[in-house]
Amino acid sequence: MSNSATQVLFDAPGPKGRRRILLLSILSVLAIAGLLAAGLWQFHANGQLDPNKWVVYLRADYLAFLGQGLWGTLKVTAAAAVVAFPFGLLLALARLSRSSLLRAIAITWIEFFRGIPMLLVVYAFLLALPAFGVTFPRFWMLVIPMILVSSAATAEVFRAGIKAVDRGQHEAAAAIGLSRRDAMASVVLPQAVRLVLPSLILALVTLLKDSTLGYVVSYNELQFQGKTLVSITRYLVQTYLVVSVIYIVINLLLTRIALALDARMKARAVAS
Amino acid sequence: MIASGPVAAEDAIAASPWATAIKDKGQLIRGGTVANQVFSLASTSGGQPTGFDAGLTQLLAKYILGDGGEEKVEYIDTTVETRETMVQNGTVDCVIATYSITPERLEVISFAGPYYLSGTAVQVRTEDAETIAGPEDLTGLNLVTQANSTGIQAIEEHVTDPGKVETLPNNESCVAALKQGRVDAYVLDQGVLLGNSAADPEVTVVGDPFVDDPYGVGLSQDSEDALEFVNTFLQELIDSGAWDALWTATIGEVIDGEAPEPPVPGELPA
Amino acid sequence: METLHGIIQYLQESIALLGDNLPLLLQGIGYTVALTLLGYGFALILGTVLAVCRVSPIPPLRWASAVYVEIFRNIPLLSLLILIAFGLPDVGLLLPYFWCGVLGLTLSSGAFVCENVRSGINTVPVGHAEAARSIGLGFFGTLRFVVLPQAFRAMVQPLVNVFIGTVIGSALCSAIAVSEITWVTQTLNIQSGRAVVMFLVAGAVYLGMSLGGAALGGVIERAVAPGGTGRCAPAPRST
Repeated sequence: MSNSATQVLFDAPGPKGRRRILLLSILSVLAIAGLLAAGLWQFHANGQLDPNKWVVYLRADYLAFLGQGLWGTLKVTAAAAVVAFPFGLLLALARLSRSSLLRAIAITWIEFFRGIPMLLVVYAFLLALPAFGVTFPRFWMLVIPMILVSSAATAEVFRAGIKAVDRGQHEAAAAIGLSRRDAMASVVLPQAVRLVLPSLILALVTLLKDSTLGYVVSYNELQFQGKTLVSITRYLVQTYLVVSVIYIVINLLLTRIALALDARMKARAVAS
Repeated sequence: MIASGPVAAEDAIAASPWATAIKDKGQLIRGGTVANQVFSLASTSGGQPTGFDAGLTQLLAKYILGDGGEEKVEYIDTTVETRETMVQNGTVDCVIATYSITPERLEVISFAGPYYLSGTAVQVRTEDAETIAGPEDLTGLNLVTQANSTGIQAIEEHVTDPGKVETLPNNESCVAALKQGRVDAYVLDQGVLLGNSAADPEVTVVGDPFVDDPYGVGLSQDSEDALEFVNTFLQELIDSGAWDALWTATIGEVIDGEAPEPPVPGELPA
Repeated sequence: METLHGIIQYLQESIALLGDNLPLLLQGIGYTVALTLLGYGFALILGTVLAVCRVSPIPPLRWASAVYVEIFRNIPLLSLLILIAFGLPDVGLLLPYFWCGVLGLTLSSGAFVCENVRSGINTVPVGHAEAARSIGLGFFGTLRFVVLPQAFRAMVQPLVNVFIGTVIGSALCSAIAVSEITWVTQTLNIQSGRAVVMFLVAGAVYLGMSLGGAALGGVIERAVAPGGTGRCAPAPRST
């Protein structure tokens, strides 16, 4: 572990301290177990633990039904990321450029799409634009708002990455006669992109979560399929819990990958 | 039952660019729900959806695509909030989804039909069915309906001094709000409500419909020929007795009595 | 001239429409502000408590806090809100929609606050904590008087981001029947067909809150800059 204040907030405990920590540990385990038990009891008391209400989610047809939704979720997330990430990089470059016009455009874009809810953008595509004769298939009614919102967030990620690349790198590139543009393209950017890779994976997590707004445009992503399944099974808590767990597991995997990448890069930075 | 439905004459299809396009694609794309027990319910075992609207869709597909066409339907989900847009932008060929014909909606899309005369009704928790008999009993009670639905106007015009009126984005949420006691009644067209009570004994439709809700087939205003084509199809269904048979097999299961007199396709409500 | 006339007429009609529905719009803004402030305020408290657990010497508390964060930062907010509003009543907990919204925002933003407070603590040089320990401060004393006040500065920008996340997250409460500004403007939009003006109103409310929060964050950041105040700033509390 890296050195930080968290490591010295308390001493290595002595015998008395150890006893106290043990006692507090036992108490907190009891408290946590109590909370979980109370939650489970609430489920039981309301008949929601009835195995019949859970085993249906092992039925192949229901799983396939949710699987379709998951496939939809992954498709829109991937499509949005493929466009939004390069777009975010361009926005970051515009924001760091010497042209004040480009900077102004980039800043306005970024602040605008960072500050308004994606739901509003989705509604614009669903309800406002059709009034002007501009309509998109529902896949794009979901993906375009995801791109717009994510591009603003990833622009900031890339900007931080570019700024984090050592100033000496810019100077070294200039010293060997590279133009500003060449230095950016062949020296700074490759390092910056590597640097921001973990943050980009977290942006992917955000995109995946935002894809639940497909619920609004009737796109058959996981949340929407879950909603339909509620009508068929009538097991509301169970269905939405199953759906939520799927989201959490996928995002957890992505977050783990991001953390592992981050740790590897930090280790490499320390080594060099 | 679907298999015995009529098939359109070649020249009737050739006369309609809308039908020709569907025939060339080899597929009818229908917007709607697959979560309504009576009108359109997905089969989780891989078969076709069943119900009045689903049957109508399959009959229309067969009418255009010929024998076996009833299986060549792509079902795209739409909600009350998304239906108009989906029709306008051509995501679907038509919407068949307990879709009430209203003047507001006629401004942006067109409707073939009506093919069924439904009406706005009241759904309550089954234990309240004794005390609430219709809109006149809703004064002071908290109500729910779907966002952008005909229920909103029906409540404004027919319920004196309701309590809180909530709107939620879909049928599932409205049913949950009713069952969980957040509201005392759910006001919407009978087609949807009957589907709910068929699926769930905890909720019941009370009284008679109090506002007419004629259901139509939602079509894009860009394809003018579609309107006439679908109306002809509906008339053929009625003449051949297929309409009656479909009603008996679906809605007839949850409403007592004989099949009603079918509406006249093309006669839109004033 | 023709178009100019049309625009003026559109503006006049729009203003009239907004005027007619002013109470509803104000109520919508009120709900959005209330959802955001309550959700964010409780999230600050919850997140700080979780972060303290996360760095505490008690292993079960550290684990519980870690598990909490993993669950609530990875669940989509919409799924969480729907579970709270329509799932919890089925297990015997029925909250008004508004409080469902506040609870969802708190639970979700709290996880992000925890992460930011924890990484803020990590930015404080080890020597400072060691110095505090050597003059005899215990775990809470070190955190309260030495580490958190310094960590606070590094946390301001990330916490502003959590605030903006809470602002835009509040829009999703329209899916659980909270009549906040997205719900109000979309309802009016459907009734009146005046999409442009309705989106302008809603957009202005959200941008005003996001940018306002960011500006306030900048002020706070400068105020707590080293040399800004010599005294021990208190740990972040709710607003």
